[in-house]
This record gives sequence, structure tokens and C-alpha cells, in this order.
Amino acid sequence: MIELNNVSTIYEGEKIPTLTKVSLAVQQGEFLTILGPNGAGKTTLLETINGLLKSKGEIIILGMDLKKYGTEIRKRIGYVPQEFTCDSLTPFLVKDVVLMGRYGKVGLLKSPTAKDYTIITKTMEFLSILTLQHTPVGKLSGGQLQKVLIARALAKEPDILLLDEPFSNLDLTSRTDIAQKISSLHSHGLTILMVVHDRSSIPSTCRRIITMDKGEIVSDKKFQVAQ
Amino acid sequence: MIERLILLAITGAVLTGVSCSLVGSFVVRMNLSSLGFAMSHAAFAGAALGLVLSVDPLIVAIVFSTGVAILLGPLAEKAKLPTNVILGILFSLMISLGLIFLNLVPQTAMSSTALSILWGSILGMTVENILKLLMLTVGIILIFILFFKEFQSIMFSRKLAEASGINTKPFYYLILFLTGITVAFSLKLVGGLLVFALMVNPASSAYQFFYDMKKITLFSPVIGVLCCITGVAVSFLLDLPTGSSIAIVSSVVFGVSVLLSPKRRRG
Repeated sequence: MIELNNVSTIYEGEKIPTLTKVSLAVQQGEFLTILGPNGAGKTTLLETINGLLKSKGEIIILGMDLKKYGTEIRKRIGYVPQEFTCDSLTPFLVKDVVLMGRYGKVGLLKSPTAKDYTIITKTMEFLSILTLQHTPVGKLSGGQLQKVLIARALAKEPDILLLDEPFSNLDLTSRTDIAQKISSLHSHGLTILMVVHDRSSIPSTCRRIITMDKGEIVSDKKFQVAQ
Repeated sequence: MIERLILLAITGAVLTGVSCSLVGSFVVRMNLSSLGFAMSHAAFAGAALGLVLSVDPLIVAIVFSTGVAILLGPLAEKAKLPTNVILGILFSLMISLGLIFLNLVPQTAMSSTALSILWGSILGMTVENILKLLMLTVGIILIFILFFKEFQSIMFSRKLAEASGINTKPFYYLILFLTGITVAFSLKLVGGLLVFALMVNPASSAYQFFYDMKKITLFSPVIGVLCCITGVAVSFLLDLPTGSSIAIVSSVVFGVSVLLSPKRRRG
């Protein structure tokens, strides 16, 4: 489902690659957690897989070459960025932001249909944010905003879900709640790649952990039982 | 004759108000204000060069203003300097070039034609200008209707829009291009020094009242038209430069909007 062969990513203006000759294969339905210290290249790895960063090497996602079919591939990948914030005056309501997740799938010169609205309603219900649908996103708490971003990523009914530090700045209740939702998504067959900062955040359903350091994968462990 | 001039001025004001404020609602949200300022001064320099070369000032103004937008990215990247530093330099360079070009306009340096691209003029409007403004306004409205969901997504977050499968680059450059030509088309009425006030002020006022981007995009041109008509009336009645009058009216409207803004009330 995801194949990286000797992939290096270097930011514009930088001389040293943030990701160095990384090779990785992820199967359909896998739940992979990426661990590592700050600057290890975890976020860069997710953004490289999503085609948001230019890179060298071969990347095949969902059977397609990322360099040729980046936009098409991104329509099938849900992405939740790290520490996303909105100022209090941000002129978008929760339902608008969640619907935006489907815009790539809806396509150019087309308007969202009743089916699109049904899907976003179900997604908001799943994440328990339906009551917030008319709330401006700038007025949400950190946990609520994180759920909105996850709902936005799920609204496109993705084949792969990329989560970058989904528990950062969350209280224990929100953390547990979101971890349960992620586990539930995995149990329904969704392929998940999740970056976390510490082991205690890893949901029990995760069966594979890779550790990164200085732009390289330094360990790759699979487990049969919960860690 | 006077009625015809007034009619042309009011029609020009309405069309300029709609086009500038519509584009402005996107420019403000996408934090492109600094770029817009540089573009408006580039348009002024281009129009002045057009007068020197006896070429249609509008065409040279469009080339200059969109040229600034296109050059900015590569310049900032090659020079490894923050965008705002490059914008600051381009801003002063363009205003200097504009003033030099105006000085070179044969025999008419400081003539009413030359000065009108600096301050704007209600007397500068012709039927041809109105037709061009009408085409621009209709074009902008159509583009915004057709691609509203893509623009909306980019305005929330360009990175997330890209991640959701929208190719954001063409839309981003479309906004820059529309900003450039809107600035150039608005020079006649508002003038190169103040045209950007008409983009930023009505849109920023609309942002004070709504959390819904559709409502902001609809309300912004309404404020823009009111500012333009009031500004033209003030200019006509008090014999003041049109651009300055419109800029002052729109600034007052913005100040009042901030005071009345329900977004800034607690609770």
C-alpha cells in the first residue's frame, strides 16, 4: 500500500537532507506508529508520503507513483497536521472545515451533493462533534479542534490516514477519547500511520513501531500483542 | 455633460468597489496585503511608464503589477531573504520608478492625466474604462463562483487544501493575477497610491461581522460600493482627490466596524 525506496527529502535552502535514504513498506490495514526525538524526521516522513514535500527516490502509494499522481493520491489520504491552530476570528464554521476534506474528491467545477453532506454528518457524529457544527473553528478548544481536523481527514473516506502528533496539547480525557476513535478506525480496516512523541500515547491496537533518528529509520518492530 | 460625468463616475465607483472588495476578501484572508501594496505601486509605476512611452498605461500597469507577484517568490528564494524584505524594497523601488516616469512624461509632467494615476480622478472615467471594468468585475464574479470551494479551502489552510487533493498552485497564482489586474484597472478612479486601501478596508470591515466566508464575500463588495460612492460624492462636493476621499471613507468604515464587531464581544 505504501512503498518507499531510498527516499531522501531535503528542504529548500538546506544542505543536509531531513530524510536520508529511507525505505519502508506498509501493508493495507496496518497500524504503524512512528517514534523519535524532535528533528528525527517524523513529520517530514509523513509529508513526504503525502507528497507535500519534494523528494528523491521511489515512492509508490496505493499502486501509483507519487511523483506522477500526487494530487490523485492525496484525494485518498487523510492527513491531520501537527499542532494546527486557528485565530479566534477565523471565518469558518466546523461543518465548513469538515466539508473541505471532501473538496478534492468532489472535483473541479462541481458542488458538494447530498451524499457529501450525509458523509460529513456521519463523520462528525462518529467524532462526537455534531453539536459543534455551527461553531466557528477559532472558538474551539485544542481537543475539539483536533477532532475537527480528524473529521476533515476522515470526511474523504480515505484509504490511508496520516496522523501527526494527534495527542499533543490534549488533556487526558480528550487523549483517551481520540485514541479510542483511532483504534476503532483501525479495527474497520483503515491503514494508519501515526507520529507520536512518547510511547505512552501509542494505542493498544498498534502492532508496529518504527523509531527514527537523524532522518533515518533506526528500528522497525512488529508485535503480535499489545505493547 | 455634468450628468454624464457623474453617471460615469458613479458607475465606475460601483464596479471598482465590487471588483476591489471581492478580490480583497481573499487577499486579506490569505495575508497578501503587503504583496498587494507592492503590486499597487508597481501598477502605478507601470502606468506612468505607459504615459512616457505613449503606450496604453493600463497594459503596462498590468504587466508591472503581475510581474511583481511572479518575481517575488523566485527573488526571495534566490536571495534567501524574508519575503517582507523583498516586498519593502520592491515597494520603494516601484514608487521611485513611478515618480521618475511621471517626471519624464513629455510636457505633461504633473498634468491632470499624470496626476490622476497618482491620486485617482472622477473626471478620468470614460465609457471605455467602464466597459473594461465591467468585463473585469463579471470575470471576477464568475471565477469566484466557479472555484469558490477551492479558494475557501486554500484560505483556511493552503497546506491542508493541498493535502485534501486540491492542486493549490494555479488557484494561488490566479488570486495574485486577479489582484494585479484589479489594481491596474482601478488606477483611474482611486490612483496608484491608495488603490490598495479599497481592497483591504472594505474586506477587513466585512471580516468583523461574520464567521461564514460566503457572507464575507457577499458583504465585502457591498461595503466597497458604499465606500466608493460616498468617496466619489465627497470628492465631487469638496473638490478633493477621489482616491484620498475613498480611502478616508473606507478607513472610517473599518474603524466603526471594529467598534461594532460582534466577534470582539466577550461570551
